[in-house]
Amino acid sequence: MKVALKVNGVQRHVDMAPLARLLDALRGPLGLTGTKEGCGEGECGSCAVFLDGVPVNACLVPIGQCDGCEVVTVEGLAAAGHLAPLQACMAEHGGAQCGICTPGMLIAAEALLRRNPDPTPVEVRTAIAGNLCRCTGYERIVQSVLHAAHELRSTEKGAAE
Amino acid sequence: MSLVDLPRYEFARPATLDETCAMLAEREAKREKTVLLAGGTDFMVQVSQGKLASDPLPLVVDIGRLDELRGVRLDGSRLRIGAAVTYLELQRDPIVREYAPLVAQMTHDIGGPTIQARGTLGGNLATASPAGDGIAAIAAYDPIIEVQSVRGRRRIPMAELQTGYKATTRAGDELIVAIELPLPAHGAAWCWRKVGTRLAQAISKVALGAVAEVSGGKVGRIGLAIASVGPTTSLLPRTRALVTATPLANLTAATVDAVVAEDVSPIDDVRSTREYRVHTAKAVVRGFLRELGAPV
Repeated sequence: MKVALKVNGVQRHVDMAPLARLLDALRGPLGLTGTKEGCGEGECGSCAVFLDGVPVNACLVPIGQCDGCEVVTVEGLAAAGHLAPLQACMAEHGGAQCGICTPGMLIAAEALLRRNPDPTPVEVRTAIAGNLCRCTGYERIVQSVLHAAHELRSTEKGAAE
Repeated sequence: MSLVDLPRYEFARPATLDETCAMLAEREAKREKTVLLAGGTDFMVQVSQGKLASDPLPLVVDIGRLDELRGVRLDGSRLRIGAAVTYLELQRDPIVREYAPLVAQMTHDIGGPTIQARGTLGGNLATASPAGDGIAAIAAYDPIIEVQSVRGRRRIPMAELQTGYKATTRAGDELIVAIELPLPAHGAAWCWRKVGTRLAQAISKVALGAVAEVSGGKVGRIGLAIASVGPTTSLLPRTRALVTATPLANLTAATVDAVVAEDVSPIDDVRSTREYRVHTAKAVVRGFLRELGAPV
């Protein structure tokens, strides 16, 4: 099945079995290996990507449903070779260890900050409730997201002044 | 399952409900199997794990984008929810939050945010798992499930939908179009209580949806439904009858526990035991009745 979709702002085409997963398309023909496969059954969130602006598990989306859709992966969060503040904070504050969960965590956190630029620690934990991490114990991830939120608010405030 | 092993499922994306019904009727007439696909949160796991019967291969029909299955509408005292509305959309819908707060609250406990973004009530009802949280929440409203086929539209009361484990009275050529909730009085008491190993991602050991109208120490209308305590969603008919027949002040823990025990028939399985589920079912029902003022 021929599918046309926009990936990280670029129009792309794939030709795959309709029930192949969006995850297979991203990591295979589209060459975007930032998105990870953890459990492959919607439990761990490491394959999270934005699909038409909403975070979903790419392992549960058949490519046949993606025609005409817009996808943003972890690669789409960084701009012009620079890490986004959220990514930089994850690296700086110990939110990333082995790294398998990190792309999904970043998508979940990005989705939160787009809607809620000043989240509480509980709101961060709720936002990443579908993302499993076996290294950090989550505390560093939550702190990283809170740092990023603070940084983004400061930047925005600076830009407004 | 690797891509190489993925069976060559046929896939269709009909543009309208009529086209979908015609397709289902044609398949049914030829006794060919069809799978309806909305959010895919259950289905894609089966595909990936190779658990879907693939001989013969079913036709997979994507109904997630059909306009007729989308949207939420308040019609007097009835709330109509399209079968393909996602849990995330329900969670953010101001009408659902105002008029069916139990439904809005339940959506937070379905999977995690990425599952909520894809899963639908229509899918939950069609899958008809007794552990379906969405079913327990809406069943508290005693909803009507609207199904459509080339033969017309049919309205199935919730109590007549499920016939056994993952089995329903929906015919092979019918698809679920909408769920109609007859709303209780505005401001009626409600509760959503999910008990699992954790709230996010975990499948319920027990989940209670409940609504009640209380006036002068008596319960007028009550809706109770519990997931994971039997082969189908338990609608607790005996418990409802006891509660509406007895002034709240006269209810006792012992009488409530006795009817709840009659209303549920859980099993031991990987997630919990029969004993724990019976105990918890009694506890969550009594918890709701205490909120209504019963000394239980």
